[in-house]
Amino acid sequence: MSLSRGSIAALMSLTVLVLCLLLAPIAPWLVKWPAALTVPMTEWVGAGMSAFLALFKPLARGFSWAMSYPMNAAGYVLGQSPWPLVIGLVTAIGWVLGGLRMALLGAAGLGFVLLSGYWHQSMNTLALVVVSVPLAMIMGLAIGILAFEVPRLRGAVQAVLDVMQTVPTFAYLTPLLVLFGFGPVVGLIASAIYAAPPMARNVLLGLERVDAEIREAAVMSGGTRRQQLFLVEIPAAATQIMVGVNQCLMAALSMVIIAAVIGGFDDIGWEVLLTMRKAQFGPAFLAGLVIVVFAILIDRMSAKLAEPRQRHDRRVSWGILLLGGLMSVVFFSQDPATFGAFDSLAEAVDRGVGRFTANHGATLDGIKNGAMFYGLLPLRIGLDDAVLPFTWGFKWTAVHSAIVYGVAGLLAVFLVLRGRVTAGIVAMIVAGILVTGISQLPWPFVLVGVGAIGWISGGWKLSRLCVILLVLIGVSGLWERALLSLYLSGASVFACAVVGGALGLWGALSKTAWAVLRPVCDILQTIPLFVFLIPVLMFFQIGEFSAFLAICMYAVVPMIRYTRHGLVTTPPDLIEAAESAGATRMQILREVRAPYAAPTILLGLNQTILYAFAMLVIAALIGTTGLGQSIYLALGQADVGLGLTAGAAMAILALVADRLVQGFAEERRRALGL
Amino acid sequence: MTGTDTAPAIAVEGLWQVFGPNARAALTEARADGAGTAATLKARGLIPAVREASFEVASGELFVIMGLSGSGKSTLVRCISRLIEPTAGAVRINGEDILTASDKRLIEMRRDTLGMVFQHFGLFPHMSVADNVAFPLKMKGEGKAARRARALEVLNLVGLEGREDAFPRELSGGQRQRVGIARSLAVNPDIWFLDEPFSALDPLIRRQLQDEFLSIQSNLQKSIVFITHDIAEALKLADRIAIMRDGEIVQIGTPTQIVLNPVDDYVREFTRDVPRGRHMTLDEVMEPVGETTPAGDWPELRTGMNLETALTLCAASFEAVPVQDGDGKVVGVVHPESFVRALGGEHG
Ligand SMILES: Nc1ncnc2c1ncn2[C@@H]1O[C@H](COP(=O)(O)OP(=O)(O)OP(=O)(O)O)[C@@H](O)[C@H]1O
Ligand SMILES: [Mg+2]
Repeated sequence: MSLSRGSIAALMSLTVLVLCLLLAPIAPWLVKWPAALTVPMTEWVGAGMSAFLALFKPLARGFSWAMSYPMNAAGYVLGQSPWPLVIGLVTAIGWVLGGLRMALLGAAGLGFVLLSGYWHQSMNTLALVVVSVPLAMIMGLAIGILAFEVPRLRGAVQAVLDVMQTVPTFAYLTPLLVLFGFGPVVGLIASAIYAAPPMARNVLLGLERVDAEIREAAVMSGGTRRQQLFLVEIPAAATQIMVGVNQCLMAALSMVIIAAVIGGFDDIGWEVLLTMRKAQFGPAFLAGLVIVVFAILIDRMSAKLAEPRQRHDRRVSWGILLLGGLMSVVFFSQDPATFGAFDSLAEAVDRGVGRFTANHGATLDGIKNGAMFYGLLPLRIGLDDAVLPFTWGFKWTAVHSAIVYGVAGLLAVFLVLRGRVTAGIVAMIVAGILVTGISQLPWPFVLVGVGAIGWISGGWKLSRLCVILLVLIGVSGLWERALLSLYLSGASVFACAVVGGALGLWGALSKTAWAVLRPVCDILQTIPLFVFLIPVLMFFQIGEFSAFLAICMYAVVPMIRYTRHGLVTTPPDLIEAAESAGATRMQILREVRAPYAAPTILLGLNQTILYAFAMLVIAALIGTTGLGQSIYLALGQADVGLGLTAGAAMAILALVADRLVQGFAEERRRALGL
Repeated sequence: MTGTDTAPAIAVEGLWQVFGPNARAALTEARADGAGTAATLKARGLIPAVREASFEVASGELFVIMGLSGSGKSTLVRCISRLIEPTAGAVRINGEDILTASDKRLIEMRRDTLGMVFQHFGLFPHMSVADNVAFPLKMKGEGKAARRARALEVLNLVGLEGREDAFPRELSGGQRQRVGIARSLAVNPDIWFLDEPFSALDPLIRRQLQDEFLSIQSNLQKSIVFITHDIAEALKLADRIAIMRDGEIVQIGTPTQIVLNPVDDYVREFTRDVPRGRHMTLDEVMEPVGETTPAGDWPELRTGMNLETALTLCAASFEAVPVQDGDGKVVGVVHPESFVRALGGEHG
């Protein structure tokens, strides 16, 4: 009997796992990454970067000083402008972009912000966005054009953009902090850096997609290269570029709010952080809502830019603006901070949450502890350590392990006899992981296992790349923390895959279900990461379970979307063929739709993984261990070495996961001939 | 090095376009090898899209390039207009070598001498019809008012008056191609490239545009390279036709020559469904006799008449029928068997 590639890989991993576990008692270095194999990477990076940064410090400080002017100016203008005028302006812009709907959205959104009493903080946030977005757009445009014009650079630029997308947001902040010093300018620059890649990506994509004949028509018209680019190609790519503008705006807003952790600026993100720290959930909730409102406003309005434009009468806009001006005169003395229409609401929320947690504390604790003791903890440290008399009612002994392995072995034999060799071996491996716990997996097994998966997914090259990258993490001494991050993101991704897959399936089967799910997904994708922390904190306090929930809420969306999309976009002729062969609805789903959707669903999983890693770092604010925590700590201590190394380790994990899943998706697509 | 009056509008000599890495070196090597250059290139994974193309287009001539999809027609015309750099060979426009022209000179030539129409129109989506048409003029630096006036003038010429402020997306396929034609004519170029301009249109519109194209051409008398894969279109429009196969020009000739004397099966296959009677004239089937005046009651057959017409005139005849020249003198006779032979395809 010859073994398939998958079986060989699985068998190899299993062998290494068994060997390591057997030898662990006499060779403990097989489990923990041996200290002899580490180098003081964090110190090296720290020293190197500090020296490097010191070189640019004067320049950066100068830049920081220069940037503070437009920033203060924007802050001053937005802060000092009478609020009716600002509302009028936003409403007028809404009208120009999207007619009555957008105008109403603008008026209602800012009206809410005004009434919330967070007007000043909001305007400060907006000022940061207003200054950082043009910076990001210019950078993005320049990078996009450069990459397009110099094809030799294209690959490199794409790679850098890829990496920038996986490096966690917090990791940017530490070196910037060192470079630019404490203060809002860091937030500004971080957000410009963070928001430039989506812009660059879309500019490049848009330019690449300009129809060859349109390009040639410009050439044959006798345009110079610059004329071709600016008069024809960029305008022809406008739709895609506007998608970039939308993403750029959203990224900037998200980052501006995250950057509030640096502090020193009275913006809305800071307000959330402050109230959250003081456990004032009502105000935190309200401030979070203000952020959500901003996100929705900016997103929906700028999304209109990428749609085919209807013209809306400009005169209406001028009218609205005039009205705003008149109102400004009337309400001149009205300080927007005195509005507090929702204070009672906030209090009510506070009280409500307080009462709810008091009344249902037992239930909430039950949920939390249940998930921790019976789910997360065993996954982290393994059944052998997690099962204690105190929680499970008995003590885990070698006998229990033997039973689990025995059952898994029987299952494996059964599967192998039915011809599913790989599945059988994988069952054994899973049993091993469950008993041992992810954070205590022997490192040789992790390396061999990832290498094996890489080999199946993308051949030797991918396998080698993944292993080398992981070894880098080990060598820099972050292995344990990386495994902790891996465990939490793995748990969340697993939960997202199950829940999101089920919801996606539901959305595919029922139109009503999708009508409900879709707006929820839309909103969840619009909300800046930070805001997810508020509701979980309200009910579950600081801790790993809250982090887990926050990650799941954010990362589940792509899984839902892609699953549904894959399932509903099966070509109609395939379905008709199946129907005419007499297949039932469920049969069609299982035999036709699901295999056809597999590559799309894998892409969704891929996105979910990236989302989970992104959130993992943010979730460090409410208590996770692992790399996220290190990055957050580094930020607090302005420790560039730790921040960057941990950030890089995080990026490596995300990158490896990304490549592996992409490889499988690619393989599935090829198998389907897509 | 501007050309003289006698230089052909376009002269192409030994033109090669090879796609793939290091094409130029590979081509030189493969040619040094001698026979089977294209095969050698293909074996090395390169694509010889145009091989050794040579032809001339006279001033005012309508030259059609035709061939199956993928035979290299577009690539050839893109080489001539230097939208892509040929791998080897020479292209002269009005006697001037375009391949060695500087970027500046190239832009000048495109602004003044060359015009191009694209298969899928290549209209700028963000510009109105008038702005699209005026774009080449804008490149030349003409003023706004002059541009608009000229744009309206050419739009008139192609029958699109009144639609100047529409956007391309608001037009039908036929109207879009009219815009494309108008744009290429805006600067009144001497040399006009059309890459399958009517292929994306339905047959009715296509015929209508072909007729309009011919009438425009009869007024403007431009030197034209027209690409098509439709033999009927080629025969209808062309002064001369070049037939391409796998990047190679296999035959160049007038429509009649192509129909009557296909050089090989490939060309014959193209012309198989062409009603031969429509492209063959009496001159080619009659047997010459000494000059006499016709005696008796013969149908009036004249030299230059195509066989289809002649056949309807003397369908009932079992004997040889005399053929007269323009002056009414009998210059030959044509036997009924000759008709049968010619139309049956046993010619040549
Ligand atoms: N940029 C390119 N790179 C590589 N190969 C190309 C390129 N452009 C064209 N080719 C190849 O050159 C050959 C000729 O293509 P070309 O577009 O000139 O054909 P065509 O005769 O115009 O066909 P059609 O009637 O479909 O337009 C084809 O085999 C094509 O695949
Ligand atoms: Mg073509």
